Formats: sequence, C-alpha cells, structure tokens
Amino acid sequence: MEGAFRKIDIDVYDEDVLAEEELYQPNPRGPAEVLSETKQKATAVRSALAKGDVSGALGIVLQNPPYGPHVEEAKNTNMTTLVSILNSTKSSEIPNIVKSLTQDEQDTLMKCLYKGMAMPGWGDLSGSVLLGWHEKLTEVAGTGCIVRVMTDRRTV
Amino acid sequence: MSQPEVYNIAQTPITCHAFSADRREVALSLNSNEAQILSKQGHEWKVTETLAEHDKLITSIDWAPKSNRIVTASQDRNAYVWTQTPDAATGRMAWKPTLVLLRINRAATFVRWSPNEDKFAVASGARAIAVCSFDPESDWWVARQLKKPFRSTVLSVDWHPNNVLLAAGSADMKARVLSAYIKDVDSRPQPTVWGEKLPFNTICGEYTSASGGWVHGVAFSPSGDALAFASHDSTITVVYPGGPASVTIKSTTLPYVTLTWTAEDALVAAGHDCQPVLFQGHENGWRAVGSLDDTTAPKSSGGTRMGSGFGGSSVGRLNSAAFNTFRNADTRGQSSLGFGAAEGTGAGDTELLTVHQNTITSVRPYEGVPGHITKVSTSGVDGKLVIWNVSAADGLAGRLGGVHLR
Repeated sequence: MEGAFRKIDIDVYDEDVLAEEELYQPNPRGPAEVLSETKQKATAVRSALAKGDVSGALGIVLQNPPYGPHVEEAKNTNMTTLVSILNSTKSSEIPNIVKSLTQDEQDTLMKCLYKGMAMPGWGDLSGSVLLGWHEKLTEVAGTGCIVRVMTDRRTV
Repeated sequence: MSQPEVYNIAQTPITCHAFSADRREVALSLNSNEAQILSKQGHEWKVTETLAEHDKLITSIDWAPKSNRIVTASQDRNAYVWTQTPDAATGRMAWKPTLVLLRINRAATFVRWSPNEDKFAVASGARAIAVCSFDPESDWWVARQLKKPFRSTVLSVDWHPNNVLLAAGSADMKARVLSAYIKDVDSRPQPTVWGEKLPFNTICGEYTSASGGWVHGVAFSPSGDALAFASHDSTITVVYPGGPASVTIKSTTLPYVTLTWTAEDALVAAGHDCQPVLFQGHENGWRAVGSLDDTTAPKSSGGTRMGSGFGGSSVGRLNSAAFNTFRNADTRGQSSLGFGAAEGTGAGDTELLTVHQNTITSVRPYEGVPGHITKVSTSGVDGKLVIWNVSAADGLAGRLGGVHLR
C-alpha cells in the first residue's frame, strides 16, 4: 500500500515525545482529596435540591470539577450528582439558570453535557434532557463554549 | 461611517499577505508554492510579478518596510530573502531570491522581520525557531536555532520593539517569550519587564490559557510591555509580566487565529469567525468592543435579512443563512432548498453576513504608527483582501443601539 507509511506510529522513534499530562496544568489536589471533596459536594447538592435551589446546586457541582489522572470514581460521582440536577430542573427555568452561571461554570457544564451524550444509557441519563440543556447553553455561551470542550484536556 | 475596502483577489485562499511600506504593492500567496506581487491600479490589484522559487506551499510572507526586502517561508523547509535588483538583460527592476540556510527538517510555518530589519525569525514544525542574520563575509543569511523548550510546532512569532525579544505561539498550547539576541547584530538591550540579562535562548516567560488549545497568534503591545495571544479554545489572553497578571477573554464565537495591537490598550483579532473584532482593556480587565464588520446586512445582495450583529441577542455564528436554513427545516419542517423561504433567506443561500466569507488567515496593521493604528488589513480563505477602519467598531457599537448616522 502506498499510504501505509502514514499509519506508522512515529512517536515511538522520538525520545522527546510530548505526553498527554504535559498538555494541561496538573491538578493540585490528589485523587483521594478530590474524591472526598466530590462526595461532600454531592451531599451539599442534595440539601440544596431539597430546598429547591437548582442554580445553587449547579454552582456547587460545577466548582472545581475533578480532572486529571486516577480520579475516575470522583468523576462518576460528580456526573451522577450533575445528572440528578439536570433531570430535576423544569425546562422553563433552564435559560435563567444558564445565564446565572459564570463562564467557567458554563464551560464545565458543556463538558458534562458532551460527556453525557457520549455514554447513552448511563445511569438516569436522558438524551432529550441533555439536548434541552445544550440548546439553551449554546444560546447563551455560543459556539466558543463548545470549542473549549474540544480543546480542554482537563476532561470531566 | 466608513466602509471597509474590499478586494476580491482570487477564488482560492490567501494564505498570507504583506504590504509594501507605501501600501501601493502587496505580496501574497494564493495557497500555492508561488508568491505574487500585486500593485494597485485604480481600484484593482494587478499581478506585476510572480516569485517562483519554492517547491511547496508558501506559509508566510513579510515585507521589510525600510530596507524593502521580502522574506518568504514555505513547507519545503526553506526561506528566501527577495531583493529588488535591476535585471541584467532588460534593466528592469526584478525581485531576486537569496536562499537562507535554515537547517530545519520540517515545514517553515511563519516568518517576521525584526523591527531593525537586520534579523528575521522563521517558526517551524521542527519544534524550533530559526533566527537568521546576514553574514557579510560569506554573503548569505545564517540561522541560529531556538530549540528549547518547544514541544511541538511553532505556529507564529512576533518581535519585541527592542529587536531582541521574540514571542512564539506553539501547538504545545503555550505562548513563550524568548531572547533572540545575536552578538554580532545587536547591541546590549536595555532591561525590560521581561528580564534584564538576555543571552540567546533565555526563556523569559511561558504562558497558557487554562482551557488549552494551540496558540495560533502572538503579538507584543506597541511598548512591548504586554503580550497577547489567541488560542484555539476561542480565547484571547493578555499577559502583563510586570504585575503577575494575565487576563483571558473567553469568546462566544469560533476561535481567533491572528491578532494585532492597534494601541497600547486595544487590539484587533480575527479568525474562524470571519470578522475582525476590536478588544480594549488594561491590566484589570479586557472586553470586546465590537466587530469592525457591519453584520446587519448581507454584503453582495441588497435588502435586509434576519440576524443580529456582534453583541446582539444571538451569539456565535448561529445567525448565518446556512444555520437558518437548517433551523427552519428542523423546527418548522420547512425546506428552503430550491425555493425562497420566509424571512427573506434566499434559496440555498449560504452567504455569511460578514464581509469575509471564510476564515481570516492574517490581520496586519495597514495605516498609522505603532501605538496608533487607524486601519488594518485582513486576508482570508475566501480570497478576499480587506482594509478596515479600526474606528468602525465604535460606530457599529452605536448602530447596534439603533442609531443610524451616515
């Protein structure tokens, strides 16, 4: 094949290869710390939801989301918490809630929405809820927010 | 309000452009291995000369205003310095190339003359920048390489006004400031906010935007005391090394790829959003002032159309005719392909509401002095060359408030 050489993994022959971890700033918190923090946040979110404070709950879960290596469990916990918020929000409230988030929180929310879309059937995920949030979020935060989901290596 | 000057140069992308000092000529490459010199005749740009020496795509061109020399960089790993000399046979002035020994093993991606025009920097895919200076003894341009600490392709460079410091944007998601001091060329530089002792390859700073992304464009402010860079996460970051502050502006649109300062507190950025946008600010905060483009009406055909401009109710590129076509098809089961639809969106109309119909590849100062640039020029993938009035952003910001002053 003429184009077969294009499939050779040339990085193997390079001693100075750029590693995945070098592409983002390392998480200053260790995996154990992240996990306990995420569990605390899940409790805080439950009490906020009980009071009907959806935007407050969303603010908590989108602050300092877990990222980096070896934090899979924390990521799953955080995602479960977020999905519970997304599912319990009335669709008429979404636009105002999305507007009240900071730009960083909007970016994190968009990351979570795309992660959710990438794993259909996971937990209580519902495609129509995700798309509803995605539409409202894009109207407020624009395509730039989606671009940042693609570039940011600090995946949620 | 002043309209931009729009020139349709070609149906092919313009990869880069550089004007001569008197702005009567422009060198550009139409996505090929040749560079063209165009001169202005009336309202048209006519090709007067073709610079054909490269084997592969030309990636960048710069025209030194004082010494009237052109430098071209190409994917064939070479750079040529072109000087105007009388042709031996005809006596007419013609551009003659001199090969530069870059010693890089990947494509050259970007080239810029230093402010004193005695050096130029060539960025490359070989994770290096070749800093070239003229060696009169051997009568050629020699390169010294800035290799550390690049981890990936260098996409753009910009010179500090002191002729020594160099900013570089790279695909390893970082913007850096390095010293390109060459003993034979430079006198000892004065201390700057970036550092005091500056031997060759001193790393003065490494900056990144939190959400990552290739750094497409870098630019020093007119004083050289601040650095701005545009990265692929749709952000512009302005770094002030004096106070350890950096300001990141998150855009709601597609990423910017190129930027230039118009004043110490203002810059124009452009890219995949197809319109140049003016930003203003200082150490404590930056904001988008507005687009230089009047995006309230389609450009070629008459009539008004739905869609709001920058800062209007809708954000990003969600107001393009193509988007509306699909939205109508989705929400109303209405297909406007083939027939004129409601809202005046034409049949199969994919025209954007901006002057440029595709990505802007390069924005450069056109008129004014550093620190007070009044006009900028842009070239785009749509084959257009456009000259914009920087003050148009303020006018359009007013227009969006419903004020019509013409």
